[in-house]
Amino acid sequence: MDSLITAAARALAAGDPLGALKRVALRDDAPALALRGIAMAQLGEFARAKMLLRSAARAFGPREAVARARCAVAEAEVALVSRDLGWPAKALEAARTTLEAHGDRLNSAYARYLAIRRLLLIGHLKEAERGLAELDPSLFPAPLRATHELAVAGVAMRRLRTQSARDALDRAEEAARQAKIPALMAEVESAARLLQTPAARLIASGEERLLLLEEVEAVLASRALVVDACRLVVRDRGTVVPLARRPVLFALARTLGEAWPGDVPRDVLLTRAFGARLADESHRARLRVEIGRLRRALRGMAVVSATKRGFALAPSRAGEIVVLAQPVEDEHAGVLAFLMDGESWSSSALALALGTSQRTVQRALDSLAAAGKVQWVGRGRARRWMTPPVPGFTTILLLPTLLPVD
Amino acid sequence: MKESPAEIVREYGPFPGVERVNGVTYDGASVWFASGGQLNALDPASGAMTRSIEVAAHAGTAFDGQHLFQIAEDRIQKIDPQTGQVLATIPAPGGGGDSGLAWAEGSLWVGQYRSRKIHQVDPGTGAILRTIESNRFVTGVTWVDGELWHATWEGDESELRHVDPGTGEVLERLEMPAGVNVSGLESDGGDRFFCGGGGTGKVRAVRRPKWQE
Repeated sequence: MDSLITAAARALAAGDPLGALKRVALRDDAPALALRGIAMAQLGEFARAKMLLRSAARAFGPREAVARARCAVAEAEVALVSRDLGWPAKALEAARTTLEAHGDRLNSAYARYLAIRRLLLIGHLKEAERGLAELDPSLFPAPLRATHELAVAGVAMRRLRTQSARDALDRAEEAARQAKIPALMAEVESAARLLQTPAARLIASGEERLLLLEEVEAVLASRALVVDACRLVVRDRGTVVPLARRPVLFALARTLGEAWPGDVPRDVLLTRAFGARLADESHRARLRVEIGRLRRALRGMAVVSATKRGFALAPSRAGEIVVLAQPVEDEHAGVLAFLMDGESWSSSALALALGTSQRTVQRALDSLAAAGKVQWVGRGRARRWMTPPVPGFTTILLLPTLLPVD
Repeated sequence: MKESPAEIVREYGPFPGVERVNGVTYDGASVWFASGGQLNALDPASGAMTRSIEVAAHAGTAFDGQHLFQIAEDRIQKIDPQTGQVLATIPAPGGGGDSGLAWAEGSLWVGQYRSRKIHQVDPGTGAILRTIESNRFVTGVTWVDGELWHATWEGDESELRHVDPGTGEVLERLEMPAGVNVSGLESDGGDRFFCGGGGTGKVRAVRRPKWQE
């Protein structure tokens, strides 16, 4: 490594990307290109950063496999942070293997964390968990430990395991403090804030209140029969009846659940389930049919019985019935319900699942995105949709620890 | 050409607060090494760091019997080792692509890393007097008993090379073990080379073989 490269790398590590650029702006040799790429990434110029890192990888010689691999890892991180999932996971894996083969344990682990963050980003929770289980964070320096714990917290939140999420966030905070990287500390803080933000609304015995994530977890773990309007399921301890594809049945279950222990008049049920304003004989017949279907769907969990003016729901095993709804009710609840599974969805898969047109789904997604209720990753046909960020969605770059020069 | 594995006789460091070693020189008593923000004196007998000078130190280091010379960014600084004061600066011949630095016979010798060159430079003006081409990246440079040696570090491979100062022809190679890299190079005038260990933050002593015709 030469003099100006050393000086530029020191400037970068000290958080001064402009100082680094000043020193190598006019140089086109491989290490200079790599440093310029990293500096550009830190300045948020992702497209330019990607191009520079790619040219750097090409410019390094055949003996400089490690330097080339580090550039590939840096490029993958820039892609991840700019939510471009078109980057090849294979190239990252190849770079990781090279780094490991050359004894660059730290950067090889770094590459694995990038792969895990990507899995979390695209909602492959199981694979992300598997990857995390294979890594021992205690072997790594503080920034990587923080990254590890943020990813663990991300998985736990998506899986509604708030205590694990909280523990992981505590460890992440500790590690971020040791790392002394302000952006990392801010990342942990914003992740922790998710635990203090209402995640759902509970409707029970005619009253409503907002619930935090851990209270949602408690409700789901309780002995109550839960009509879950966030995920469009009815659940009773271990049993889950999915009704997302049967919106009429779900609307009936929810209306009856909200009224419990009371009953609901027929015309209210008709309005809620069919949007029917005036109930005629054919509507009443259809209601009877749908109630019969609901009875069968909830068999063993709840009983639907006729009353003088309509119908009532009663739990079979559970002590009470509660309804869990979105904190703020949305006309696109159906779309949101699918996304609440924590996975990432393509708009065509959502259209298929909802039995509606892709155009309708697209409109719903656009307005949900505008309201910050959903988030997308990827471009064009590779675009995927999911519920808002959880930790591990990290938006910061840890590139300074990964200078592709020795 | 003679080839043999380098024999590492001693390892110094890593030292607290030293992330990397950029240049190395020897003043007859202490080994001086550049670590980015400072020059550090190391007692080669005890292995202890005895003092340090706060000065930009990004690449090669040299000693002319009186002053320390240190490359920083695209300049060569002339430093009083007693006070730590920078007495003069001249432009570095590689414009910042410079790596190793040595003093011999009234000239400074400067390695230019990726250009694979060694320049002989007038220490007063910075003028390039002569350029020797190598076929490997040049890190450290040193002269001992009329022999010009340079360290190379390309990818994972590092060697100490004895080259003909006239033609650049490689006369002798000492191969460093795999994964052990050399940033700076200096001879102690006897049978030892001191080598900077780059990002490991170490300094290593390597035995200098006797050259036999």
